[in-house]
Amino acid sequence: MSLMATKVPEIQMENVEMRYQTDTADVLALHQVSLDIAKGEFVSLLGPSGCGKTTLLRLMADLIEPTAGRVTVAGKSAREARLAQKYGIVFQSPVLYDWRKVKDNITLPLELMGVKKARRDEKALELLELVGLKGFADKYPWQLSGGMQQRVAIARALSMEPEILLMDEPFSALDEFTRERLNEELLSVWSKVGNTVVFVTHSIPESIFLSDRVFVLSPHPGRLSAVVDIPLPRPRTAEMRNSPEFFDLIAGIRDSFEGV
Amino acid sequence: MKGNSMLVKGRFLPLLVWVAGLLIVWEALSWVLLNVVRTPLAQSKLPYVHELVATLFRYAGTLLKEGAATFGNAGVGFLLGAAAGVLLAVLMSVSKTIEQLTFPYAVASQMIPILGLAPIIYGIVRDEQISRIIISGYITFFPVSLNMLRGLRSVNLSALELMHSYAAKPWAVYWKLRLPAALPGLFSGLKIAAPLAVTGAILVELMGAQHGIGVIMLRNLYYGPSHTYMFWSTILVGAFLGMASYGIMSLIERLVAPWQPEFRPKGGGR
Repeated sequence: MSLMATKVPEIQMENVEMRYQTDTADVLALHQVSLDIAKGEFVSLLGPSGCGKTTLLRLMADLIEPTAGRVTVAGKSAREARLAQKYGIVFQSPVLYDWRKVKDNITLPLELMGVKKARRDEKALELLELVGLKGFADKYPWQLSGGMQQRVAIARALSMEPEILLMDEPFSALDEFTRERLNEELLSVWSKVGNTVVFVTHSIPESIFLSDRVFVLSPHPGRLSAVVDIPLPRPRTAEMRNSPEFFDLIAGIRDSFEGV
Repeated sequence: MKGNSMLVKGRFLPLLVWVAGLLIVWEALSWVLLNVVRTPLAQSKLPYVHELVATLFRYAGTLLKEGAATFGNAGVGFLLGAAAGVLLAVLMSVSKTIEQLTFPYAVASQMIPILGLAPIIYGIVRDEQISRIIISGYITFFPVSLNMLRGLRSVNLSALELMHSYAAKPWAVYWKLRLPAALPGLFSGLKIAAPLAVTGAILVELMGAQHGIGVIMLRNLYYGPSHTYMFWSTILVGAFLGMASYGIMSLIERLVAPWQPEFRPKGGGR
């Protein structure tokens, strides 16, 4: 489950560059990014706003295309991987459809694939149990708190059992207490599912607590400035947040920013 | 449920008080105009409420029959106009070219005064029923189309990207995302258009038809003060038809799109 388990690359980026044309300027959002993420690995993309971490995730998801370089996902081009449903994605906001019950939001991807209703409902119950929302199948999204809604979004991303889970600052809109609890729950879900996770965040402690490795990005132009191994043992526990190792790691990553 | 009955009481009691108060003030003013101020044609200006109610009951059969004729034609026109409006909105949302080709004409069509258009239509089709249907549909079409289009475009980018990430087919994006998201817009259009469709049908009847609430409205206006109560009754029936059409649309909205924020119980439903 950890990075030691296998070294099969799941996501590869080679010299990826992303330029935007605006009316007044030519913005270089990402410059020469190359990285490898192994199968089953949990990595974070960490950086301040404007460093291109979300852009990087969107490139993996084939929501945008790079202006140069190559993105390989699950051994295919990013586009093929998207069409083959190799990943599930969770955005910063839950993006639940108001008119669908929780269970129908969760199984939307399965519905799009043509899975039968009975099987979908069954899968929804299974996933709700996994994310700790048993008994909420027939509620509507507005009847849930922000944290619960984001758990529904995670269940939805996992519904077609994807090899990869892409998460774009999924907990950044939540309060600190909810966020920490959801961090622990996410790890517990991940330990059962065992897929590859790419997690975008601007929180140093969050990235350390969750990840096997942290990719540190710097802005202007957005680039990969450091890759930090997180040697904390798994399963990770809430107490680890108070350990000296944890604080050392925070200090180390902070230094890697200042060194840029 | 207890909470529900509280809500009913909380809403209906003030309404009852307001309506009763209004009717009493009306009756009093009517009496003042007739007996104190002694205005000429006082009852034409503000008739007694009790006389109106009596007339409504005495001619209930006629009013109901003519009202139904108006409402039926307005309804058919409304449905056709709404269908055309929805279709055009979908086409415009699919293709910018179609929007640029059709939208200016749709806007221009609304600049033509209905009062002038009605006799022209009637002159061409020479059938009062068909004229009513055409005018009602014509009035309905634009607000429905405009609001539906806005609804189709109201879908936020993340919701679309989600569909994209699941490699959803274009029809699925419409069926499962854009159309449900457009329902609130569609219903605002329908609620604006429904009373207008009734008004439009009545307008056609004023141009010289055989049946409809507008016909008796016009006749009783011509016959002068002696038919004041009947004239006012037709106005009331016309207003009622407009409100009923709005009410029907609101009811359907609650059934079809009950998930909208304004239908949620207060104080969260956790």
